[in-house]
Amino acid sequence: MLYQILEILEQAEQPLSLAELSQRLQIEPSALEGMIAFWVRKGRLRDTAVLGCGGGGAGCTCHAYPQGCPFRSAGPRMITLID
Amino acid sequence: MTTMAGFAPQIPFSYPAPVEREIAQLAALFAQTPALAVYPARWLAIQVLEGDEALLAEIEAHGGSAVVAALNDSLERLRAVYGDELDIVMVDQRYRFVHEVATRAVTRPATPPATLSDRIDRIVTHRWFGIPIFLAVMWVVFKLTTDVAAPFVDWLDSVVSGPLSRGVSALLGMVGAGGGWFESLLIDGVIAGVGGVLAFVPVLLSLYFALALLEDSGYMARAAFVMDRVMRLFGLHGKSFLPMIVGFGCSVPAIYATRTLDSRRDRILTGLLVPFMSCSARLPVYVLIAMIFFPAYAGQVIFGLYLTGIVVAVGVGALARRTLFGRQPPTPFVLELPPYRLPTLRHIWRQMWERTAAFVRKAGTVILATSVVVWLLLAIPARGDGQFAATPVDQSAFATLAHAVAPVFAPLGFGNWESSGALVTGLIAKEVVVGTLTQVYVGEDAVAEPAAPPSLGEDVVAIVTGFGAAIGDALRALPGIIGINLSAVEAEPVADELATAIQAGLAASSNGHATAAALALLVFVLLYTPCVATLAASRHEFGLRWMLTSLLGQFAIAWLAALIVFQGGCMIGM
Repeated sequence: MLYQILEILEQAEQPLSLAELSQRLQIEPSALEGMIAFWVRKGRLRDTAVLGCGGGGAGCTCHAYPQGCPFRSAGPRMITLID
Repeated sequence: MTTMAGFAPQIPFSYPAPVEREIAQLAALFAQTPALAVYPARWLAIQVLEGDEALLAEIEAHGGSAVVAALNDSLERLRAVYGDELDIVMVDQRYRFVHEVATRAVTRPATPPATLSDRIDRIVTHRWFGIPIFLAVMWVVFKLTTDVAAPFVDWLDSVVSGPLSRGVSALLGMVGAGGGWFESLLIDGVIAGVGGVLAFVPVLLSLYFALALLEDSGYMARAAFVMDRVMRLFGLHGKSFLPMIVGFGCSVPAIYATRTLDSRRDRILTGLLVPFMSCSARLPVYVLIAMIFFPAYAGQVIFGLYLTGIVVAVGVGALARRTLFGRQPPTPFVLELPPYRLPTLRHIWRQMWERTAAFVRKAGTVILATSVVVWLLLAIPARGDGQFAATPVDQSAFATLAHAVAPVFAPLGFGNWESSGALVTGLIAKEVVVGTLTQVYVGEDAVAEPAAPPSLGEDVVAIVTGFGAAIGDALRALPGIIGINLSAVEAEPVADELATAIQAGLAASSNGHATAAALALLVFVLLYTPCVATLAASRHEFGLRWMLTSLLGQFAIAWLAALIVFQGGCMIGM
């Protein structure tokens, strides 16, 4: 089942929503979250919810915003396959 | 494992046979080891086979050599069967079991019932309707940032240039520091420069309100989903649009957001495209120029600029993909499309506050420092017989330096030293363009002070009534967002001193084609070299070579685009 996530992503020709992926695998979205988190830990998937825009999550700072990035939530969450 | 009575016989859980064999052996061994008795033996065996480092360390420390040797033997045997994927096999087996239990225990309809979000998404992310809806949303955002915020900008501007400047001047006079260079520094440098930029806070508040609304409602994710198709049409990765969306707020975090892309080539290409997306710092420049030259169509002009930024980014990206970066098959991704929800006022306010506070902090640091430097250059006489802080601005060091770069902009219609100098200071931060224009033109008009300034009481009344009038104008402008005009009169050009001076300056530099020059100036500001903070981020992420590519490449593209706009505008009689 875990490998199916990677297979579906490898074969997809356009972006999928989490709901679509959950339907294709016939599993609950909450279970899918756990499976995605597992692959993120294994380094096979990249999740922007974990990374944040600059890799620092909610506390992301940079030289322009040393007190925290006010634009960190501007982008939606994206999960990608790592080659 | 504990299961419900009567349930286990139908769906027994077990790992694959080789794994079960090793678990059983290890569990038996652990059960006989007093130091490990605190843990359930089977659970401990499963954890260490899955590679739990803390428990492995504990076994090595307290389990004894026989237990450690047995564990290593087990791992060795399993590696021979499963390689490095033993933990994946075990976790996968558990998910299969849970899935099987859920499948047997839960009855689901063959097609899940469509939620409200699903029904909305059928329209919003539709193959053909998705893009027009995205454009319509952008349209509303920019009408909001111009028509609704404009009365408050006018009000703030009148407060800064009127009562505030007069108040500071009077205070300095009371302490005996009036009339000299210090007063000039505060009034013509700090208040004109920083205050001129801060007057646009209502515009940014409107933009950040709209962005927060779109993010919180869940639409932003749909915009990325829809734009993926457009990006793919041009051979680009849809994923690149996500950093670009962040770029509508600020290019710096957008550059860092490219880290979410897979390959270095994609990251560099997206990093080069991000600054074409119009960041919020450019908005004050657009609003200032658009309200002067296109008062009835300011919203449309600004909407067009944002759209131009996207089109140029996609065009440059497609070209770069076919030349410098080679064509690579786009890798698919999963995008979270959260259910639509009603945004909460608290969250929207927090977003608006955080972002506006960052802008105000910037005004207190980068913009303040630049304003002081510009004032200093304006105060130093370079020609004529003027004195420090009392020289005509066109004889100042700033004017002399700006004159040197002005010929570069002459073919674009804005080769006057005031605009050229402002564009150069815009390299520090884009908002500074507004501050510098204000400083330069305020300096030119400094002699035109009214003979009898209003009293403090009159100023207070003017501030309060002005604010009330701004609220009224903003409320009347609201229906205009959807095309209903409640105002009896059409919008009129801004007619203050700054507007008149900018119009006269551009008319002179463009041989009477001021409107074409203004449009070219707007396109140039949209596309030209990003600010130093963005360049620093670009260097940090991609190296000096790509930072220089961004610096010079964007300048060249902006110059060419502005040339086409100005020359084209002149040809059609603008």
